[in-house]
Parts: sequence; C-alpha cells; structure tokens
Amino acid sequence: MQIQGSHHIQATRDQVWALLNDPDVLARCCAPGGAALEAEGPDQFKATVRVAVGPVKGTFQGHIRITEKTPPEAMTLTLIARSGVGGVSANGRIRLEEDDGGTRVVWSGEPQLLGMLASLGGRLLQGVAQAQAEEFFRRLEAEIVASDT
Amino acid sequence: MYPSAFGYYRAASVQEAVALLGEHPDAKLLAGGHSLIPAMKLRLATPSALVDLGSVAELRGIRQQGETIVIGAMTPHREIEYSTELAKTCPILPEAAAVIGDPLVRNRGTIGGSLAHADPAADFPACVLALGGTLTIQGTAGGRTVEAADFFQDMFATALQPGEVLTEIQVPARQPGVGMAYEKFAHPASRYAIVGVAAVVRMNRSVCEEARVAMTGATSKPTRLTKLEAALAGKPLDEATLKATCVNVVSPDGLLGDHTASATFRAHLTDVFAKRALQRAAERSTSR
Amino acid sequence: MEQYFGKAVKRVEDPRFLTGSGQYTDDLSLPRMAHVAMVRTPFAHARIRRIDTAQALEHPGVVAVITGQALRDANIGSIPPGWLLPDIKTPPHYAIAVDRVRHAGEIVAAVIAESRAIAEDAALLVDVEYEMLPAVSLGSAALASGAPAVHDEAIENVCFRWSIGDQAAVDAEFDRAAKTVKLSLRNSRLAPNAIEPRASLAQYVRASDELTLWTTSQNPHIHRLILAAFVLGIPEHKLRVISPDVGGGFGSKIFQYPEEVIVLYAARKLNRPVKWTARRTESFVSDSHGRDHESEAELAADDEGHVLALRVKTIANLGAYLTLFGPVVPTYLYGTLMNGPYRFRAIHCAVTGVFTHTAPVDALRGAGRPEATYLLERMMDRMAQELGQDPAELRRKNFIQPDAFPYQTPVALVYDSGNYEPALDKALTTLDYKRAREAQAALRKEGRYLGIGFSTYLEACGLAPSSLVGSLGAQAGQWESALVRVMPTGKVEVFTGAHSHGQGHETAFAQIVADDLQIPMDDVVIVHGDTAKVPFGWGSYGSRSAAVGASALKMALNKIRDKAAGIAAHLLEAAPEDVEMTGGQLHVKGVPERGKSFSDIALQAHLAHNLPEGMEPGLEATHFYDPKNFVYPFGTHVAVVEVDPETGRVTLQRYVAVDDCGPLINPMIAEGQVHGGIAHGVGQALLEHALYDEQGQFVAGSFLEYAMPRADDLPLFEIDHTVTPSPHNPLGVKGIGETGTIASTAAVANAVIDALGPFGITHLDMPFTAENVWRAIQGGKKAVA
Repeated sequence: MQIQGSHHIQATRDQVWALLNDPDVLARCCAPGGAALEAEGPDQFKATVRVAVGPVKGTFQGHIRITEKTPPEAMTLTLIARSGVGGVSANGRIRLEEDDGGTRVVWSGEPQLLGMLASLGGRLLQGVAQAQAEEFFRRLEAEIVASDT
Repeated sequence: MYPSAFGYYRAASVQEAVALLGEHPDAKLLAGGHSLIPAMKLRLATPSALVDLGSVAELRGIRQQGETIVIGAMTPHREIEYSTELAKTCPILPEAAAVIGDPLVRNRGTIGGSLAHADPAADFPACVLALGGTLTIQGTAGGRTVEAADFFQDMFATALQPGEVLTEIQVPARQPGVGMAYEKFAHPASRYAIVGVAAVVRMNRSVCEEARVAMTGATSKPTRLTKLEAALAGKPLDEATLKATCVNVVSPDGLLGDHTASATFRAHLTDVFAKRALQRAAERSTSR
Repeated sequence: MEQYFGKAVKRVEDPRFLTGSGQYTDDLSLPRMAHVAMVRTPFAHARIRRIDTAQALEHPGVVAVITGQALRDANIGSIPPGWLLPDIKTPPHYAIAVDRVRHAGEIVAAVIAESRAIAEDAALLVDVEYEMLPAVSLGSAALASGAPAVHDEAIENVCFRWSIGDQAAVDAEFDRAAKTVKLSLRNSRLAPNAIEPRASLAQYVRASDELTLWTTSQNPHIHRLILAAFVLGIPEHKLRVISPDVGGGFGSKIFQYPEEVIVLYAARKLNRPVKWTARRTESFVSDSHGRDHESEAELAADDEGHVLALRVKTIANLGAYLTLFGPVVPTYLYGTLMNGPYRFRAIHCAVTGVFTHTAPVDALRGAGRPEATYLLERMMDRMAQELGQDPAELRRKNFIQPDAFPYQTPVALVYDSGNYEPALDKALTTLDYKRAREAQAALRKEGRYLGIGFSTYLEACGLAPSSLVGSLGAQAGQWESALVRVMPTGKVEVFTGAHSHGQGHETAFAQIVADDLQIPMDDVVIVHGDTAKVPFGWGSYGSRSAAVGASALKMALNKIRDKAAGIAAHLLEAAPEDVEMTGGQLHVKGVPERGKSFSDIALQAHLAHNLPEGMEPGLEATHFYDPKNFVYPFGTHVAVVEVDPETGRVTLQRYVAVDDCGPLINPMIAEGQVHGGIAHGVGQALLEHALYDEQGQFVAGSFLEYAMPRADDLPLFEIDHTVTPSPHNPLGVKGIGETGTIASTAAVANAVIDALGPFGITHLDMPFTAENVWRAIQGGKKAVA
C-alpha cells in the first residue's frame, strides 16, 4: 500500500529542512501534546506517539531512523512502532522542491500494519495513514507560521 | 472478553448522561455497543468508563411532527426496519436498516450509535445525508442542531464535542413525487458496505427536479455525489440517462481500498450501485 | 427389537448442547486456578534482542511470567512432527520462541495471573525488544533465491521434496497424447474456525506427581504420548489427558500446540491449576491453517477424451513449523488421490514442502484430498472445455468400471470397491441436467451468466492400515480400540479410542451396540476422550471414526456376543453354535419361547455361579482393530451458480450432492455432516481466505474480515446417496465427515468458470470474490473484443 501527497509551505527549503530535523518540532507535528521524540543517536529517534482514530486510542512506542539525507533536498526514513495491539512499520520519502518562492514538500510512504492491527485495521489503514500524514504536514506548516511571528 | 478495567454508569436521562460525561472525561457513551464493545474487547478502545444510554426512554422511538420525522437516537435498527410508519414516510431508512449486519446486530445496534460512531462503511450516515437530515445534540450548554452535511467530518469523527450526546435525528417526511432507495454491496464477512449508495429524488412527472445521492463505504465520510446530482437535474431518470450519467461517478484516487475491494473496484461499484439506487428511487417516486 | 442402525435417531448429545449444559474445557474451574495470557509477536520474522518481564511481574495479581528460555532451562522439549519423509528437515519447534520469531502470532512469553483480565493487562507490560527481519509468506516466493530463511537448517526454505508415480511413463503418455491441457492453480489458505476456540486447563497433584490436562483435542492419547514422551519427559502414567465436550475440530484440534505445553509446565512449576482459552483473534493466527498450494498441472487425453496421464508439480506452504501431520497432508494424503475415480495410465506428482513466515499448515477437513480433488476436477473440466465435450459425459467415459475392483491406481492406492455411474446419474436426474443447460443457454441471451459445475470426487479415508502408514513414514499406528464393558444389570459402557467433537458418536455408536446386543439404546453409554478411562486409541480425523472406530466396536461386540452365547448355551444346555439371539433373547434356534435376555446373561456372567467350565467371570471385551485398507467414499456433486457481470458477485443457486459412504448408520447425522462439509467447501470457493500479505502479516484475522459461509450464502442442498459397502470392514461403512468439503470446492469452482465461459475465461483462482471475478470479466471482455 502506498500513500503519497504534497504540501506547499511558504518557507525556504533550508527553513523546512531545519524543522524536519528538529525532534521537538517533529514531536509536535506527529501529535500535538501527545508525542515525545528522543534522540538515540545520529538520525535515530525513540518515539512515543498517541494515536486516536474514533474509539481506537493507543500509545505507540517505536524508533524512527533517517536512512538517507541530502540537505536540503531529500530524506528517507523508516519507522517501526508498537503498541499492545500490534504495530506499524513504514518507509517514507520526503523531497523538498523549490516552489513559487516557497517549498513543495513531496512525500510518499508504504505503511504496513503489524500483528493484530494488521488483522483488524486493513480496511481503514489507507485512509488513516493518508490523513495522519496530511495532518503532519499541515502542522509543519503551522510551525513555520508560528516561527515567523 | 478481557477489556481493560472500566467503570459502568447507567444514565436514566439525557441530562444525567451529559452530567456523567462531564464527571468522566474519558468515558464513552454505550448505545448498542456493536462497534464499541468489540473495540474494547480487543483493547483498541480503553475508555475509563461507559455511560449506558440503554435505559434512557426519551431517546427511543419514532414520531412525526408535521412534515418531519423524528427518530430517537437509541432507536434500534430493528425498530426502524419494521416500522410501518417509516415504510410510508421514509422508506429508505427501513430499507437500509434491513441490510445492516445481521439480525443480532440489528436487534441491539441503534441509529444514533451508528451515526455518532461514523464508521466510514456504515449504512445510515449516507441515508441521513441524502435525506438532508438534521441531528440534535445535547450538552452541558444545552441543545443544538447540526445538519447532516456538517455532522460527518471524517472517519469516526463528527461534530459531537466531548461531553455531548446525540439525541434525535430529524428527516423530512416523504412528499409526493419523492422516491428513495438504498443499494449496497456488502462486505462478505462484516456486511458493512463496500459501497453503499443512498438516492433521494424529487420527480416532476418523469423529470428529475432534484437528486440527492450519497455514498458510503469507499470514502472516509459519507459523501454527496454532487457531480452526478447536477447531471441528473432536469432529466428523465430513464435507462438512457442513468447509463450515460452513472459512469465514472467518482475517481478511484483517494477512495478507500483494501484486500477485499480495491479503490478501483469500489469506484466501479459506485457507478453500478448509484444506477441501481436511482433506478429504484425513480420507480418509487410515483407511488403514494 | 427395535432396529437402530440406519435410523435417524435423534442425537443423545443434543439436549445438553442445546440447553447450554455441555461441559467444554473453558467451563471447567478448579480451586486456586490461575489464568494465562499469551504475549504474541506482531512480527512475521524478527530477532528477539531482549525480553523484560520486570514490569509485568510487578503488576498486582501476576503470578509468573514464563519465557522460552525458562522452558529450555527446564528441559522442556521441542514439539515433534508425527510423520517423517526422506530427507525431511525438522527444525525444532519450541512452545515459546527463544531467540527468533518466525510468524506473526508466535508466543514470546506467557503471563500467569489470578484472573485472565489481569493476565491480559500484564501481557501488555512485557517489553520485548525485536529486530525486525525480512519475511516471506508465499511458498514460491520462499523458494526464490535470496528469500529470507525461515530456519537456518532448511536451505532455500525446502522442508522436503517428495514425489509419487512413474515420471517416465507419464512422459511417454504425454508424447503420444492427442490432447493436453495445462493449468496453474492456487489452492487458497483457510483458517479452521471451530466454534469453540482451543482451550487447556492443567492441574498438578504434588502428592502423586501427577498432571491432568483438560484440552480441546480430537485425540487425547496422541497428546499424552507426545507431551509425556517428547516434551515433558515424564512417564505416560503421570499424565492424564481429558478431552471433554469439544466444539468442532475440523483437523485443527489434532495437533500438539505450544499452549498445552505452557499450561502443563506452569501448573507443575506453580503447583496451581492453570487455564488458557484462545481469544478468537488468537485462534486466527495460532490454529494450524489448511491448504495453501501453488500447482502446475498437465493432463493428457486421447482424441476421444479418454484421460491418459496427469503431471503435477506442487509447492506446499507448510508455514513456519512442522506440526503433527504437516508433512503427510500435502504428500501421501494428496499425491495418492490424484487418480480420482478415473482410469489413468500414469500419474506423477512432485511436491516441494516449503517453510514460510506464516502460521503452520496442517490437516483441515479433507486434508490433502480437497486439494487433490480440486486440481483433478478442474483439469477434467478444462479438458472437457478443450475438447468441446460435456463435462459430465467426459467424466462418465473415464470412470473405473464396477467390475474392475480391486483397482490398482498408478499412485499406490488399491481401490477395493466403487460404482461411480449411479451416483452421477442420480445427480443428473435430480438436477434435470438437460433443462438446466437449456436454461443456461436461454439466460445467456438475456445477459445473465449461469454456470453448472461438477465434481465426481473420490476420497480415501478411514485412516489406515498401520503397517502401510508406518512404511510411509508415520510415527504412529492407525488402528483403533474399543472396550465394551457390560454391567451386572446388562447396561453397557463402551470406551472408544475414537473421539467425538460434534460428530455424534454417543448416538451412532450406541445405535450399533443396541442393535448388536438387542438392548434399548438408553442402556448404552459411550465414553470417549479420557486417557484414564479409555484404552489407547488414535482419535478422530480423516473420517476414521465409523470405518475404524466403529469397526473396533463391532469386533469387540462380537466377542461379547460369543461369550454371551456360551453362557446361554450352558444355561440352556445346548451347544453354543445352536444359540441365536432374536427379539432380545438368547435361545436355542427354533425355540424362542425358552430364552435368556441379555441382562439375564450379564447377571450370570457376574455372579459366576454357573458358568461353563473354564470360562472367566465377567462380560467385557476389548478389540484393537487395524483396517486392511482405506475406505473409498465417492459421489457426484453439482453446483449451479449465477455471476452478476456488473459486480462479479457469485450466487450459489443450487447444490446437488449424491454421496456413497456405504450403509448409513444414522441418516440424520450423515445429512448434517454433508451439509456442514458442503458449506465448508463452498466457503473456500467463494468466501474464505486466510490471507497473508507479502510481508507475512495476517490480514483477515477477525470475522470482520474473514468471511465464513452463512445460511444466506447457501441454497437448500439437494442431497441423496448410493450405497456401495466397503468389502473389508465388518459394518461396510465409509466416512462421510469430509466428503462435502472434498467435493464442493471443485464443483463450485467449475460452475464459476463455466459461467464465465462466454468471456473466454478458462481458469481463475479461488476465492471467487466479487473483485476477482469482475477483474477476470474485464480482462476477458478485452481479450474477446
């Protein structure tokens, strides 16, 4: 399964790149107030994220690793996170393109559910993953706006 | 079942339910329980408490107020399915109720529970949207009403705020010349809609004055097929029109898809079931 | 006397089942009982770096947390497979993973607590650190070079390579054949889904150092043997295995699973009773699955449609571990069935058993025989299509004739009896075949697509002559035991090594006893499922209860009758050979008015005041019955389906089944078996799919996703029988529990392909879900246009 999208942010690629490499910003973008990101090593983070989809609420703990990066153009990352009911793994790619004075963030990924979530959540995965990713970049944009003011 | 521990409160009135939700911010309302209890069983949902609406008599029942049908949120699917009143005044609801899950689900599941849960594959949301229904909500600040179009916000997300209770659903009683039908392609296991289409048409002689068509199952929330609706206005709903208009009604891009039915297949099914629903809605518009 | 055999006697089990008073394992409760929650891995393949149980242990109410290392330290053995093949790889299968997990759902720790809810709470606190590894779920993908290895010792993930038949002879037939057809077929994976999930309760009595295990088993003696001798390393008499009421098995409750090992270990270690019952979501990923083949098949025929030879290459997905019958199901229970009821000159079937990162695959209702029947019957239809012949008539002209028995097939089996045409004719008549074809043609003109599909199946069941299975690699015998114990009052207790998990042995076996001893059925009780009561037996699977278990019973009853006749003769002052039994009385032939009732004799046998010289007191007999051959049920099943070309939805409109299982002990029970069997097979064709994604995640793990057939998916079945008794067992009976499943999948598949004929479709893999069928139609339309 593939999710993808793009998002225009009114900031330079360097600005966006800096935000994408700031654990605190990433934590806020993952889930406002409900996430924590801790550096475990260079380009490696330990993540705790609270996810809520309808009645389904869970805290996922996992690791994010940036496997490739070309500042300020592109990065690829992997994520594996687990909760008591299963987990999720994903490979993702983010590309930053100059776009009309700002930056177009082009993203794609292949989320995969693990364990019981895979058995139960298949019909919802695409919608949820797409929505979460879009929300992430909306929040990232909000961070830019916030840092401007 | 082995859920995580939770408190249980039985509300006797809407007012008490609202108060209990205020006292237990992480509580969930228990209606029929056919979505919530399985989620708790699997520990996908771990509410601190349940506030059971099962004893709230004021939330149950179907009545007509002038041109409006009012359905209590805790009215079970089965009561809607077998309502002789609704069969005349809003036949799409009994028709949709009859294809929800199985008899066990229909005995316990409620229309309010289904709407408030907002499963993207549930049947009633599309029907209420196509009917142009209104939902009444009670909270600490009192009551308010929300149009169906504004109520459904996303997958499992509605206009309901924490602490609020959905109390009533209002839909317009069928007027002469109006026909309605719900057609669904059910998931072979869950019997949720892979694609469901609710069509409500107002005909003048044999010309369609207004068509309201909503789909469920393949979109993250019930969605009006506005392009199709526009194409139908002013046309006779005959085979030729439907054949010409029910083509590529939605794009597969952005539709939900899984191993049972891909987005491409769901887009195709939307054409098929939109046509079937409109056909039957048009046929029924002439009945009294 | 009332004759019970052949009568639709109401099941004596049903009042307790219907009133909720059955005693299933989970209904049992013992003082101080603790409960287990299993911690299962979400990964298909991962290395376990670390398991931290500290937080779970601190949780109030937690008694213990058991890891794989603890079991290894306690010398708990690996669970062995029950069948070996030449050069088979048998990597260890530990109850709890130690350093690597090999399928999603494998157990990594067990949490034992005062209640199941506490155990489940604490299971979430067991912190396991994994390193996720690449996984492979499809058999052919596991064989591809560079595929992730499931076990280091199985090179290229091959567990075994096996073949049967004469390859050269097959090649020669293909060289001279006028017509050949070829298909690639996938036989989809199924989850068993018995209505009662697996459950186990273990109790340890320290004073006697004895363990008792209540468990959902089709064969408690096999469990005792494996657990005592191979896993726990204790004498068998220190372990009692009881299988109380069991709610369905379908094969899935034959095998030794990890959970029983865990509760036994824990009960002994903690000196407390310990219980585990599967949640449904656990059942989906931990019960052994069924089927999952990828095959290439070629069929050769002469220009008239007489089949000559069949060539089959199959990749059988075995899952991550070999379970009890894992190796035999896709080999001896599959390759040997490739002949069906037809006259073949040569057959060759080669099977590669492959490890993958999925739940183990083992016997599931039919076990190998549905896979063989599906393949063969699809090939027969494909040949009929190729030759432009009627599929029913192509089958008829290839049937082995009734005077040709015993019939040696090219794949080892010797059919002892059969008469295939009457079943076909009966089915065609019931269906009104000619009219059905006319209706099909007429509806096609209206754009409606009906299909008619046949399956003239043959089954080998009633497992099995012990020396034969031993020569083929079985680590078990396949005889069965029966002990008949007559009380002084003439009431009879029967202890059978067969096991009922829904089949109704308490009724059917009692019918046989009541007839033989000419006593009321109420005077008979059938006891099964307890190693402390029942003589060693091999249990129930492979449709063996009637053919083997009831045969053992019949032979034991013969001994009782002989002894009773001896006592009667003595009392009546006659020669034993002059005594007969009529109307419930043992009497001298021709003198029925001066007789002794069976209860009179029973009392005399126990009083022993006046027995023939040298005769032992008591009236009790045991028989161990080893069958001379398999039994060979057969029949014709016909399915009529309609395909909605707009949606691809398949509707089963009619289903005709004519089965020959020999004489019917209880026609109502047989009918129930046929109904359930058909539903099971139809489920595979149309609905069910135990689907793993490519990364080894199980994506159909609840009844929201996994479609079991329901009443409204099925038409009213039209069923009938022919009766061709087995010549070698004392009752002439054959099995009926699997015929429906073996036959129906192929019948429905053939019907769907028949319906899709106008679109130029010659094959489509199961399950025939709406999207699969719709896509095929779209592809076919393009090809036809």
